[in-house]
Amino acid sequence: MEDIRKTYRMGNQDVEVLKGINLNIEKGEFVSIMGTSGSGKTTLMNIIGCLDVPTSGRYVLADREVSHLTDDELSVIRNEHIGFVFQNFYLLPYATVLENVLLPTLYIEHYRDGSEKHARELLQLVGLEARAKFKPNQLSGGEQQRVAIARALINNPELVLADEPTGQLDSKTTEEIMNILTTMNKQGKTVILITHDAAVAGYATRITHIKDGIIFE
Amino acid sequence: MDRLFNLFSQSIRAVTSFKMRTFFCLLSVALGVASITTIVAATEGAYKKALEIVERFGPDALLIIGGGEEQRAVGQRQKTITLSDVEAIKQTFDSAYLVVPMTSTGDITVSYKNKKYQTRIIGSTSDYSSVWTWPVIQGSDFTEEDVKGLHNVGLIGQHVVNELFADEDPVGKYILVNRIPVEIVGVLTERGTSPTGANLDDRIILPITTVMRKLQNETQYVSVLRVRFYDQKNLYYYVEELRSFLRNRHGIPPEDPDDFTIISPKEIIKFLVALTGSLVAFLGVTGVISLIVAGFVLANLFLLSVQERRQEIGIRRATGAKRKDILMQFLGESVIITTLGGIAGFLVAFAGKELLTLIAEFPIEFSWKAFAVGLFLSWVIGIGFGLQPAKRASDLNPIEAIRG
Repeated sequence: MEDIRKTYRMGNQDVEVLKGINLNIEKGEFVSIMGTSGSGKTTLMNIIGCLDVPTSGRYVLADREVSHLTDDELSVIRNEHIGFVFQNFYLLPYATVLENVLLPTLYIEHYRDGSEKHARELLQLVGLEARAKFKPNQLSGGEQQRVAIARALINNPELVLADEPTGQLDSKTTEEIMNILTTMNKQGKTVILITHDAAVAGYATRITHIKDGIIFE
Repeated sequence: MDRLFNLFSQSIRAVTSFKMRTFFCLLSVALGVASITTIVAATEGAYKKALEIVERFGPDALLIIGGGEEQRAVGQRQKTITLSDVEAIKQTFDSAYLVVPMTSTGDITVSYKNKKYQTRIIGSTSDYSSVWTWPVIQGSDFTEEDVKGLHNVGLIGQHVVNELFADEDPVGKYILVNRIPVEIVGVLTERGTSPTGANLDDRIILPITTVMRKLQNETQYVSVLRVRFYDQKNLYYYVEELRSFLRNRHGIPPEDPDDFTIISPKEIIKFLVALTGSLVAFLGVTGVISLIVAGFVLANLFLLSVQERRQEIGIRRATGAKRKDILMQFLGESVIITTLGGIAGFLVAFAGKELLTLIAEFPIEFSWKAFAVGLFLSWVIGIGFGLQPAKRASDLNPIEAIRG
């Protein structure tokens, strides 16, 4: 990332939330980005996650410049390269665990076989293979987050973006979730963790801070 | 294709999951489609009925009735057509292959053994059954000699057969018509009811001479005259010819109205359209209103649903759904619901058919056409009213959506 800036218009005033972010994350790293609310970390996460585009600057993801892509192109990038883990899990309440894990496969550009088998393997990886037919509301918070992690991995993304993944969880489950993320990192995934919790950030191999729209190592 | 299939299966999933929304949308669409398909079916039924009646009336036939249209309208039946008119028409119009006069007398008491019954007596010629295309199933027509000789012979309608002869064969039996013994020579097939609801099988046909002399004390006037032409295409030309011919014979000055009425198949269709028109109009208005209401119910419930499912839309977008994927999913949901509603509405209409035929006394004819119209309308509603909510869903910014 080079000189990423993001400006929002609030009323008739331009507010610059990101004031020139320079951040280079290598493949396979486990980086945490720490910051308080209002520091710009959510905006940065949205840009890293290709949910939003910067006002200016360059963002290269997996050798591709993505800062000026269209909405449809960004959708494809998200689908193929990024797995999201959110604080509130965002599982579909009416779908089963297995269907939730398979959600990103609905939107892949080219159909491929074996998605369901892969989903079951991932559920096994997070220890929920017996719950495949359950609905999310039958699971605990930690279990729901593990389903979300399996969903994040189903399309084999290079990057896993976790936004306060343990914000809703107790310390024991937090440890479980962080261990899973660490394992994934060891298996070669780039993991970017956004949090305000120093203990959680400590799982990462590299810790950065964001304050007032600027990154500090 | 796989992507479309995936989206479609997601739509089905949502339709089966949000049951209340599905139920209410389905219900309102079903009611609208039910009334619309009923209209289509009713119109078709009426049309078919009209054709049937014309077919039975004879597409090549005219009926000339004594008395002008205005007199008939106030219920006065005037006899203005004479036997010599009939003879003259027979002589003059080579294009006519049947010219059959008829006269009729109501409420005549007939009896067989100890059974009594009041019926209508029709006087006609030996061509009665052929001029009405109304076959005799037992026995035979009476003959020209019977007519010339004022013989006491008759054809009997099915209804009278049932009233007088339980299981007996009526042919060859004698009944009393106003104390005159009449031999039954033939039985007419069952004919049903006229467009006005009169029972056509409730009648006995005697030679016209017999009826005029022995029952009516009449020497020249007949009630109606039926004429059939070889050439059906020129029927309306013959109507005019006959009109001026009869006006001339009756010496009517040009400024005066006809003293007779000529009924053609056209008149019958006109009458039938007037009969069914009011019901069709009523159903049409309610149908269109209920369809529009259904559309608004659908649009509102879907907008509410989009609002409730912001997080779902957000996570779908985050995991790679494009705008049009979201659009297609929601549009799919509304089309699936309205299609089901359309089918349900058709079934409701089908079930309500019996009830309506009972009230309206005209046939409702369900066909693939009514079904197709119903289905088409439900798609129009599904797409038309589902588009805006679906558009709103797809236009949600994923960042905003996911924050709820």
